[in-house]
Amino acid sequence: MPRIDLPQGTLDLLILRTLALEPQHGWAISERIQQISSDVLRVQQGSLYPALHRLERRGWIKARWGTSENNRRAKYYELTKTGRRQLEVEKDAWDKLTAAVAQVLGTA
Amino acid sequence: MFKDLWFRLRALFRRKSVETELDEELRFHLERQAEKYVRAGLDREEARHRARLEFGGYEQVKEEYRDARGVSLIETLARDVRYGFRALRSNPGFSTVAILTLALGIGANTAIFSVIDSVLLRRLPYADPDRLVMVWESLPGRNPHNTVSPPDFLDWGSRNSVFSGMAALFDQRANLTGNGQPQEVVLQDVTANFFSILGVNPILGTGFTAENGQPGHDDVLVLSCGFWKERYGGDSSIIGKTITLNGHPLMVVGVAPEGFDWFIKDSSLTGAKPQMWTPWIIPQAFHDRKNVGRFMTVAARLKPGATVQQARVQMNTIAAQIAQEYPDFNGHWGANVVPVREQISGDLRPALWILLGAVGFVLLIACANVSSLLLARAAARERELAIRTAIGASRWRIAFQLLTESVLLAVMGGSVGVALAIWGTNVLLAANPRNLLDLRSVSVDLPLLAFAVGSTLLAGLIFGFLPSFISAHASVAETLKEGGRGSSAGKGRGTARSAFVVLQMCLALVLLAGSGLLIRSFIRLVGVDPGFAASHLLTFKVTLPRLKYGTDAKCQAFFQELLPRLSHLPGVRSVTMNSYPPFTGLGAATGVRLLSQPPRSLKDLPDAEVRVVGPNYFSTMEVPLRAGRTFSEDELSQARHVAIINQAFADKYMSGTNPLGQKAVIFMKSLEESGNPSSEIIGVVGDVRQMGLDTPGEPTVYWPYPELVYSGMTILVRTSNDPLALVPAVRNELQQMDPEQPMAAVATMDQLLGESLERSRFTMLLLAIFAAMALLLASVGIYGVIAYGVTQRTQEFGIRIALGARRSDVLRLVLGQGTRLALLGIGLGIIFALALSKFLGTLLYGITPTDPLTFGAVALLLTLVALVACFVPAHRATRVDPIEALRYE
Repeated sequence: MPRIDLPQGTLDLLILRTLALEPQHGWAISERIQQISSDVLRVQQGSLYPALHRLERRGWIKARWGTSENNRRAKYYELTKTGRRQLEVEKDAWDKLTAAVAQVLGTA
Repeated sequence: MFKDLWFRLRALFRRKSVETELDEELRFHLERQAEKYVRAGLDREEARHRARLEFGGYEQVKEEYRDARGVSLIETLARDVRYGFRALRSNPGFSTVAILTLALGIGANTAIFSVIDSVLLRRLPYADPDRLVMVWESLPGRNPHNTVSPPDFLDWGSRNSVFSGMAALFDQRANLTGNGQPQEVVLQDVTANFFSILGVNPILGTGFTAENGQPGHDDVLVLSCGFWKERYGGDSSIIGKTITLNGHPLMVVGVAPEGFDWFIKDSSLTGAKPQMWTPWIIPQAFHDRKNVGRFMTVAARLKPGATVQQARVQMNTIAAQIAQEYPDFNGHWGANVVPVREQISGDLRPALWILLGAVGFVLLIACANVSSLLLARAAARERELAIRTAIGASRWRIAFQLLTESVLLAVMGGSVGVALAIWGTNVLLAANPRNLLDLRSVSVDLPLLAFAVGSTLLAGLIFGFLPSFISAHASVAETLKEGGRGSSAGKGRGTARSAFVVLQMCLALVLLAGSGLLIRSFIRLVGVDPGFAASHLLTFKVTLPRLKYGTDAKCQAFFQELLPRLSHLPGVRSVTMNSYPPFTGLGAATGVRLLSQPPRSLKDLPDAEVRVVGPNYFSTMEVPLRAGRTFSEDELSQARHVAIINQAFADKYMSGTNPLGQKAVIFMKSLEESGNPSSEIIGVVGDVRQMGLDTPGEPTVYWPYPELVYSGMTILVRTSNDPLALVPAVRNELQQMDPEQPMAAVATMDQLLGESLERSRFTMLLLAIFAAMALLLASVGIYGVIAYGVTQRTQEFGIRIALGARRSDVLRLVLGQGTRLALLGIGLGIIFALALSKFLGTLLYGITPTDPLTFGAVALLLTLVALVACFVPAHRATRVDPIEALRYE
């Protein structure tokens, strides 16, 4: 099955959504996105980390060092309160966008 | 917001730990990814490789991460600055030349600017000085700044509607006695509104009130701050005390603020700054034009809303009315309004603008030089830059880094430049012609600093832009392939560098031509014969107070005793005196009518200077007698109505006739012919230059002292040795005759002559220094370009020589390239200089601004210097060993 590169701007939303379930480290985030999307969405691993740090700077997620499932030191990210609110906002915006796009495509 | 800032700062100050954390995080990611592939069945090596590949550029991710972190701009700048420093240190020759070049340009610029700032831009010590104007009487075509007569001043005051007030003043010397050594002081008699019109309040006392302008209330005085400190030790109890001037007691009512004075060179009768002011009431007799001449300076303040132009128009109208009403006295006369600021900077203004232009040129040459140096360096670093581009640096990043380096250079050059500017300003202060300008107030201050910083940054940006621009557009692949030679950027640089050489040569020629003209003009000026022998001549002024020496007979008796006393001193060859000797400023002048010519009114008569002289004047001064005889003993002791004229008088007014025996009415004692007994012309003498070596002698009439007795005379002592060594003996003789009589304005004629040349010398010297700097910088510039070209073409020369070219062919090839550039620049420079040299017009004496000899000489000089600069690298080119050159890579 062909994989789709993420459209601009959606990576932030996916990261926030993934972290809404539980705190995760970077690798797990990319794996999770791929899994949930049934391997259709592929996260450019190179852009994952700059995105994580961008979100951290905005205060939507925060990072702490923890221990991974195989007992290694790893950096875990979790959603903050503002992050949770932001997720709602972005999800809303996304729903509106996709609905609108679908409508246009449907009528065309 | 706050969180954002905290992140940036944390990232900045804990850069190390942040970087380690990032590394650790990314490594963790790669390992997990690799493990995933191992589980899927790949071997460990393969898995790790694949994980890496998938991840993308590791360093690039880190770079992007840093960008996302938001500290990169500051960090990049810091890195570029560090890198720039390292780059500059690694090439000390380049850095030193570049920094010194810039420092010279910026330093000279700032020093000149600070002088110009103080002369042309700075606040004058008056309230709202830009509303203050001078009002002069003017004779169209002859004297635009003539002093003013009291009746005209009174009429102007009552008829104008553009001024809120007008003040009149004139200066004189007076004898201060009592309480210590007698001293001659410079005194300004001013109308009582003088200080209020200038808007100046005394720092002590009340100053003049309107009442002081009423008869009987004018025996008061305001001291200058300098004189108050010097003579009275800054004692504030001086207010209310009495000071004796010319025998009159005057009460001190004020001390003027520090730095306040009023000195307009064009109208000063003393040639010195005032030390005190007294109120002056225009006597009733001076309301009549028959009784008084033109001698006052007039200052006025514009009414709110009135402009200088309006004032000019109105004053011209009023002057025309007055000229109609009093055709005898005012016919031909107009009025002229000049802003005070313009008046004060007056003479020096054109010179200062020219110097500023010259300095700008030097800065431009310096910038072109550094730009050229940077281009050469950029070329040498082309591969380095290409490699950096290839491994991912953006063009913008490279341009930014090169720009940082140039600004770094500019800042360092600028700091050395500021130090140079402070030193240069002091040198200018030391070299400043005395009495020409008040430069004491020149100091390094904020506008100066702003100017230095501004020109530094501008220079950095200008000469940083081009190399960065060209380098940023270099094609990476081509550069790496070609090894830096023959790439498009290489060509771009070559053209740019050639253009810089042409520009430098062009500007250097303009500066050389300008200074060449001034130097030639100065040599002419110094070679001018003043018309008398100036060496071994002591001059000083004796002004007898009229209160003590009330009659002409008393004055005459005093000088008749003084001169023989002095002539008997050992070391004195002869002694004489003159009312207005040469090089001491303006003298008296009036209308003259020859009896052989029909009577005319005074205003239509030709003018002549009038000098009153003592015994042996012409022999002491060594002014040659051309015809007739000099004054006899008898004529020097009694008024016998005889006169001696100079050659200019004979040529201008009596040409074709024998002047001897003719009679002339000299309108010196009265405005009516009847009040002036005619004088018989008994001799003709050579012309003497009065105002300066650049002004030829005017028609002059000499009278013996008894004909017109002045209370103040300048004594001239011809000595056999150093004239100044005689001063104590002379003062002793003077004080034996009158212990209260001071000896004023002591100087040697050589000093006075030198001072009259100061301005020309000052301008010439500065411009010559700039021209020398330009020559040096331009020759370094052309040397750099040619030397660089030779290095670049080493291989080519090797092949040529290997193929049989003679060394002289190679020499000609390289020299030809340099000469072409130099000649192109010089040609453009000549055109440019011819267009600009007319601005030098007023500063030149005896040569035209397009003097072909000067232009030819400087063009030749510049060509020779350029040739020598090219010859060094050209000679190196002929030494190329073909074998080594072909290996060279």
